[in-house]
Amino acid sequence: MFPISRRDALKSASAGFGLVALAGLLGRQSAAADKPLAPKAPPLKARAKRLLFVHMNGAMSHHDTFDYKPQLAKDDGKAGPGGGVLTASKFKWSQHGDTGSWFSELLPNLAKHADKLTWLRGLHTDTPAHPQAVVQLHTGSANAALTRPSLGAWLLYGLGSENQDLPGYITANPPPNFGGAVNYGSAFLPAHFQGTRIDDRGHLPNLKTTSGTALQRKQLDLIQAMNRDLAATGSAPDQLEGVIQSYELGFKMQSKVADLLDISGEPQAVKDSYGVTDKPNAAFARQCLMARRLTEAGVRFVEICQPGWDHHNNLHKGLLDRCGSIDQPVAALLTDLDQRGLLKDTLVLFGSEFGRQPTSQGKDGRDHNITGYPMFLTGAGVKPGVTYGATDEYGQKAVEGRMHTNDLHATLLHILGLDHEKLTYNYAGRDFRLTDVKGEVATAVLS
Amino acid sequence: MRTVWAMIAALAAVAAVPAAEPDAAKVEFFEKKVRPILTAHCNGCHSADTKLAGGLRVDDHKGLLTGGNTGPAVVPDKPGEGTLLRRITQKDEKRRMPLEGEKLTDAQVETLSAWIKDGAVWPAVGVPASFGKTKPEYEELKKTHWAFQPIKGSRDPKGSAEQNPIDDFVRTKLTAVGLKPAPVADKLTLIRRLTFDLTGLPPTPVEIDTCLADDSSDALEKLVDRLLASPRFGEHWGRHWLDVARYGESTGPSRNIPYPFAWKYRDYVIDSFNADVPFDRFIREQIAGDLLDAKDKAERDHLAAATGFVALGVKDVNQRFKVRFQMDNVDEQIDVVTRSVLGLTASCARCHDHKFDPIPTKDYYALAGIFTSTDNASGLRNQMGGAGLAYYDPANLIATATAADLPAVPPEQLDKLKAEVAEVKKAWDAIRGTPEGLKPAANGQPTQRPFRLKYEAKQAELNALTDPAARGFAVHGVRDSKTIGDTELRVRGEAEKLGPVVPRGFLTAFAVKDSRPVNAKESGRRELADWLTSPHNPLAARVFVNRAWAKLFGRGIVSTVDNFGVTGDTPTHPELLDHLAGRFVADGWSVKKLVRTLVLTRTYRQSAEATAEAKKLDPENKLLWRHAPRRLTAEEFRDAALLAAGELDVTRPKGWAAPPLQMVEMRDNGPEAKQVHELADKSKARSVFLPLLRGVTPHALEAFDPVDQTLVSGRRDTTSVPGQALFVLNSPFVRRQALTLAERVLKAEKADADRIATVYRVALGRTPTEQEVERAKQFVAEYESAAKDEPPPPEPPKAVKPKAKPKKADDPNQDPDTIDQTGEEVDAVVVRAKDPRTAAWMALTQAVLGSGEFRFVR
Repeated sequence: MFPISRRDALKSASAGFGLVALAGLLGRQSAAADKPLAPKAPPLKARAKRLLFVHMNGAMSHHDTFDYKPQLAKDDGKAGPGGGVLTASKFKWSQHGDTGSWFSELLPNLAKHADKLTWLRGLHTDTPAHPQAVVQLHTGSANAALTRPSLGAWLLYGLGSENQDLPGYITANPPPNFGGAVNYGSAFLPAHFQGTRIDDRGHLPNLKTTSGTALQRKQLDLIQAMNRDLAATGSAPDQLEGVIQSYELGFKMQSKVADLLDISGEPQAVKDSYGVTDKPNAAFARQCLMARRLTEAGVRFVEICQPGWDHHNNLHKGLLDRCGSIDQPVAALLTDLDQRGLLKDTLVLFGSEFGRQPTSQGKDGRDHNITGYPMFLTGAGVKPGVTYGATDEYGQKAVEGRMHTNDLHATLLHILGLDHEKLTYNYAGRDFRLTDVKGEVATAVLS
Repeated sequence: MRTVWAMIAALAAVAAVPAAEPDAAKVEFFEKKVRPILTAHCNGCHSADTKLAGGLRVDDHKGLLTGGNTGPAVVPDKPGEGTLLRRITQKDEKRRMPLEGEKLTDAQVETLSAWIKDGAVWPAVGVPASFGKTKPEYEELKKTHWAFQPIKGSRDPKGSAEQNPIDDFVRTKLTAVGLKPAPVADKLTLIRRLTFDLTGLPPTPVEIDTCLADDSSDALEKLVDRLLASPRFGEHWGRHWLDVARYGESTGPSRNIPYPFAWKYRDYVIDSFNADVPFDRFIREQIAGDLLDAKDKAERDHLAAATGFVALGVKDVNQRFKVRFQMDNVDEQIDVVTRSVLGLTASCARCHDHKFDPIPTKDYYALAGIFTSTDNASGLRNQMGGAGLAYYDPANLIATATAADLPAVPPEQLDKLKAEVAEVKKAWDAIRGTPEGLKPAANGQPTQRPFRLKYEAKQAELNALTDPAARGFAVHGVRDSKTIGDTELRVRGEAEKLGPVVPRGFLTAFAVKDSRPVNAKESGRRELADWLTSPHNPLAARVFVNRAWAKLFGRGIVSTVDNFGVTGDTPTHPELLDHLAGRFVADGWSVKKLVRTLVLTRTYRQSAEATAEAKKLDPENKLLWRHAPRRLTAEEFRDAALLAAGELDVTRPKGWAAPPLQMVEMRDNGPEAKQVHELADKSKARSVFLPLLRGVTPHALEAFDPVDQTLVSGRRDTTSVPGQALFVLNSPFVRRQALTLAERVLKAEKADADRIATVYRVALGRTPTEQEVERAKQFVAEYESAAKDEPPPPEPPKAVKPKAKPKKADDPNQDPDTIDQTGEEVDAVVVRAKDPRTAAWMALTQAVLGSGEFRFVR
């Protein structure tokens, strides 16, 4: 159930403000009820059931990958608007698919998906620094004085978890700094909405029994017998039933989640398609394969992360290396999701916290750019092959279809069947939203 | 949310009154001639959208006036003084702005010069028309909202059958709906309840036996007095306050920088509760301790540590703009002060008049002036980027008074070192950021790198000699700034958009008789503290007694313990709340007296026994027809498990629990966090003494809804989720305590029945029934034989990590954005019994620790 929106509350409380408080209390109580993560029917038409975010942390240079600007190539070496020297990409570009989308030579595999992608090319954000921008991308706000819940926590709060035997929100290899745990935290939302962090080997603390399943079942039976004794007394806590259930659920999760995160049993052909090996340099490929498994199992929000895109220097080699580590796995992930029919109800978001400058920084680098950069969507809820928004002739500033982070969030929530203006939580006397008091849905990209 | 949009639209419609009307012609000259030059040639590196080269921004008036790292860029009327004209006309091309791009023409330079000469006029910022005006709806709320009305004394209810007025208030409400209170709980239950509620620990078997054996009529009172006198009381009730004070030992989001002296504030809080420092004094010390008289150095340091309350907030040190850094910190301080003490969300009025409570923006900036006149001496400075000690500013710490006792550094040694620092700094400044400096040297790194290293190494040498903090003689706290004064309204909360100056003062939602205005020569924290804790302030006493009530009865009389505003809940027992508040003040704000009074009521002593009728009539137990069972907090669960295992060490650890960390950015799942986790995992101290860095919750506290350390939290969540089951079943922490307890009883007792009895007594505080003993015996036997047949699963493989050693995070030369991003997990510790028999007993002890009976207090 959803908390009463402030509008409704105010409407029915013309005599006073009492009901606004009530709405907050209801929100709190429904959340703390026995099954806080039970699936909830989305209030709007849900175009997608779940979200998978492929996070390129550090700000991937769009000038060298996705955002082809002939004018930049032409004006290479000239002074840029606002200062600096315009610097064209050193990589070759070509068009792909029926849409004729431009990709640089760094991403040959991803380019094969050209016609499936929906581009948001007019993104912009508030702070040209990773810590704030990453936090804003994940929580909607970079204001450190009031930590906000993360996007995934809002999704769980609004939609519950599809699969009760699994965590509903899993984040793999999140950046340890740049906000760290805030990026998958629940802030003032109840703690069970926060993300579960795993590493690139699928390690999850406390997941595995050290005594063996049969023995543990025996032990659990004793715990439950004690719990039932307590439940039979008149002074039992109201929450005891929830505790009893949580034990059964936890017990089941051990085998289910462990199996799910264990990619060793995947056919070799699948592993090869992703480029999965046991080596450290395949860390992101392993995440991609785990992401498919988690998505398939119905995890509401999965985020995987490839850091290391912050190319203030060493841009050329750095891009070769990073693109090399993501191109094949991401392409394989999209193919795999597609072949399994998962793109029908899964929305995929790909991109960074901001973009980079068309001008050079030092000999071989590009600085941060928050005024215009792209991300792409694919899968459920969006029109394939559509481009929304554009940057200027140099790929520097968003000039068409401008989308602030709040607009991106509004659009994501909308596709998942949530109205970003109504998904509120009352904290400290105020109804909070992921999109604060802003956000517009980019209806042009909706399927 | 349409309403909010409507409000914003309405606000925007009337928002066009400028602060002070500048000359229209001058503004036009600026807009037509000056701004285009700045936009085209400077904004690329010096505007809000950029990283702010040299700390300078030119897209904001104040930015130009304050200037960057090298002083004001523009001094109105004086073209010769600022850095702007100097840098654009510089002869040396390497230093001339714009660094990259075309040189400004003579005409452009002339335009800028003329503009500066003519006062450097900038268009005024529009101030909302409602500013400073009386709002009828506010006036109405001031008169009608219950929380703003004076406390109605300690009137006792009339015609009461109860001996205690508190019970009377409760009884009256129950009777009115036809409910009766539950019978008084048995003594054993009360011993456990009281011991947990007052100390956060379960009673030991000896404590239980002593109290049970005491047949006197005041046995419980004696127990209560003993518990109140125990140092464990302050540790538990201090923890409650630390929740409210959003206590954390690092800055939190953005770049997470440890606060190595935060523990001094934590200890101050614990000691204050133990010493029963009157609550009003406690608040005054935390807000204005530095301004209060101290009889000696020790007290001076004690009071300095108290002000950690204001300083230890969440901070975004990576903030580019000093003014934003300051105003964000001020906001955080206003929030913690107003919500913790008053239960009001004054910080909502930062950008616009409060939408619900009668708190105009003007009141917010009246408070803000008090905090802008205060140094937030947390030891940090804001900076865009930078690694190592870049954010550490030793001068911005409070050196303790006892630091003066340190042996002085010989002046000649100091002078020599200072001169050396100046020399290397000069060299560094000369090359810093120049094309020459940025050119890669033979090793591929920028040529300027060694210059920076040399400078920073020298500086560190000087710091080590002169920085008392390096030797532990410092606290994070506050002090009055060198410049004291009122601050300006910031339009829409934007730090740079200055409106009219607002005189310092307090909230006007309610009047506080006899309060003194701010002393113009001080920050005003002294008067703010007095205003907050005045007996005539309608909120401070109400809010605190309600917090105490909520901890003891499971639910506040006002259920929204941090929000007494219009959107908060209304009191279920308003007269009781006023009675308690009045009595609290009359009793000299003694927390111990308050707690004693509350726990000796019949209402507190009633059992948790529920009846179907009462559950139907009042499912949430708002009227207190029974004692509400409560789940242990994360800290209580850990401490109780350690105590049951005989492992809890109640001595207070010396100093900080994570000593190796400096004020250098740490990574939440990187090597520094790993270090913290390892320390926390090893610790057997009470949970309140664990390292509590924001974003790095100790594993043993993770499962049971630990407090959010970024926000004022008077109330803990108590969810029931599978993660808790997995924690109980599989975590090394619980398994270790279970194993220790199992080994202990196996060794200490001969008969299985005695072993089982001991387990029940240390963990649950009672002897098991015969059936329970039989069940446990049978369980152990069956488990042991099954364990013989089932070999344990293999140990999980250790993670393969890349060989490359990550750079140390305190390498001052490292670009923070290139710091190794690989997460580092603490290797999973496998706790296993040595043989099937021990395993069986361990399975039993673990089951008891995981049972609902252990996890809840009734």
